Amino acid sequence: MKRVLIIGCGNSLRGDDGLGRTAAESLETLLANPRVEILQTDQLTPELAEPVSRAGLVIIIDASHTGHPGTWTTEDVTISAAGNSKLGHHFTPASILAYASALYHANPRMLLVTVAGRSFECSGFPSHEENPGVPFRYSARLTPEVEAALPDVLRHICALVEREIGAEMNHNHVV
Amino acid sequence: MSKTILIDPVTRIEGHSKISIFLDDSGEVTDARFHVTQYRGFEKFSEGRPFTEMPSLTARTCGICPVSHLMASAKACDALMAVEIPQTATKLRRIMNLAQLVQSHALSFFHLSSPDLLFGMDADPARRNILGVVEAHPQLATDGVMLRKIGQEIIALLGGKRIHPAWVVPGGVSEPLSEEKRDKILSMIPEAYAISHRTLAWYKDVLEQFREEIRTFGNFPSMFMALVTPQQQGEHKAELEHYDGVLRFVDASGNIVEDQVDPSLYQDYIAEAVEPYSYLKSPFFKALGYPKGIYRVGPLARLNVIDRCGTPKADMEWAEFRALRRGVILSSFHQHYARLVEILYGIERIEQLLNEPDILSNHVRAFAKPNKFEGVGVAEAPRGTLIHHYKIDDNGLITWANMIIATGHNNLAMNQSVKQVAQHYVKSDKLKEGMLNRVEAVIRTYDPCLSCSTHAIGRMPLLVELIGHGGTVLDSVRRD
Repeated sequence: MKRVLIIGCGNSLRGDDGLGRTAAESLETLLANPRVEILQTDQLTPELAEPVSRAGLVIIIDASHTGHPGTWTTEDVTISAAGNSKLGHHFTPASILAYASALYHANPRMLLVTVAGRSFECSGFPSHEENPGVPFRYSARLTPEVEAALPDVLRHICALVEREIGAEMNHNHVV
Repeated sequence: MSKTILIDPVTRIEGHSKISIFLDDSGEVTDARFHVTQYRGFEKFSEGRPFTEMPSLTARTCGICPVSHLMASAKACDALMAVEIPQTATKLRRIMNLAQLVQSHALSFFHLSSPDLLFGMDADPARRNILGVVEAHPQLATDGVMLRKIGQEIIALLGGKRIHPAWVVPGGVSEPLSEEKRDKILSMIPEAYAISHRTLAWYKDVLEQFREEIRTFGNFPSMFMALVTPQQQGEHKAELEHYDGVLRFVDASGNIVEDQVDPSLYQDYIAEAVEPYSYLKSPFFKALGYPKGIYRVGPLARLNVIDRCGTPKADMEWAEFRALRRGVILSSFHQHYARLVEILYGIERIEQLLNEPDILSNHVRAFAKPNKFEGVGVAEAPRGTLIHHYKIDDNGLITWANMIIATGHNNLAMNQSVKQVAQHYVKSDKLKEGMLNRVEAVIRTYDPCLSCSTHAIGRMPLLVELIGHGGTVLDSVRRD
């Protein structure tokens, strides 16, 4: 049975860097399906190779330093030697894929969805005063450009998942 | 004409940094510096937050060791509430802290350093990486993934999730351990032991090939600091202590300089200097002044300050480790070895704690309002001693926070280590691969974590610059 793994990556204390985690949080509601696994992580680490190896489609969502703030792209990730030479605390998507291939003989399709951010400074979280009545949550404070791009990004990811597993999703509710 | 060689940033460490190597007119290295260029600032933005949020908030400063921040922060909050947390909560926190130690050490040893150890420092970088390890020694690579996975799963079972569990709270932990989870964790222990023993045996075999690196990688006299078990009545044998205990300082000859130090009084012993070339503060041992008061923390320091580990299997390995040299072990290259001994200790202690009769007790949290305006929490993170120090107002809001991270304690030692390696290996004004790799590798022995930087795609290149007198760039290498 086809399975989809979504990894939202970033540091929610660092402004737009938290985009991936914010998106993953929303997708947990939008894509509630036993065939879809959603993970949030500050950064890519080697043991992710194992869940990656069990998926047919892997979607990594991350912020990007390049591009006009709020613009987003989807690219196919392929194993590359360039990605292999700097493996460290911070793994690249290409190296996670390479790891899954080498250790688990798996070769899932991997897509990297990136949204260009504007600010990666320590931004903290929306305060109680800014969100009265809303329980405190550790969500990122995104810049308006990135916040505005988020619904389109979510719709796009829902459509990708739907194509992969053929299920009806709740993406009409994305606002 | 003096020259400067820049390596920017160091690959395979967390966050952003660079290394500068200063050459004199004759091409000899006169000095070297490890710069941390990213800005943290988390202490400042903690101000105004309710103190109860601090464990979860500070855990988000690091994607690699969030549990360590959880521990130190929760302990500082316990101190603000002036509560003694239930014994079972202490044991559960210890298990999570040790699981973090195991998985973090696994990342450092297997994923960052094993390529150098397997292929040698001068090997072709196209092969000298973790994928090369997968091809040449698949067992080593698989063991690395499995050990990290075991550590992460223990954290997830205890805390509900692998990253940023909200289970450690001021006053204890939010939920007791179930029998099912206890048994599941215990079922992973045999595999963890097997990996640990296998890797120690392999490492001891390859160690001989690195005589030159052992001699020159941060091999200098310094003090060492770590938590140890507190003195009880009768004969005192200080054991490894990663969660609680007292601070001990040992000098380069192995003499105990300070012992039984209450960690909350750290400011009586440690001061922090600031250098213009780095955002990372430079803590030093006050009695010796700056910069003479250099000390090291982390796995090597912990194994140097104790009288024994306190668990049978680790004690046997520790005795062998300490036999490497009379007195304390000075070479930072041996941090790798120390990590492996600590992994074994961590597995043993987790097993011991899970088998204690009260580990499933429901009494895991003490409730209280703040009773003090100032609290300090200290724990041993994988990379060394981590200190959280908070002050609050009448409403329990943070008015001041200070965090001394392990990588900070080691800042002076890392600088000295880079200088030593550069003086030994950098012999020209052209940067060669083996030379560069050793300069980076000595930093990696400390496994520095500067992870408060962002991790967004597009900002992890390696830039190497050779700059002559007056700022002229003589040579430049970029590795994306």
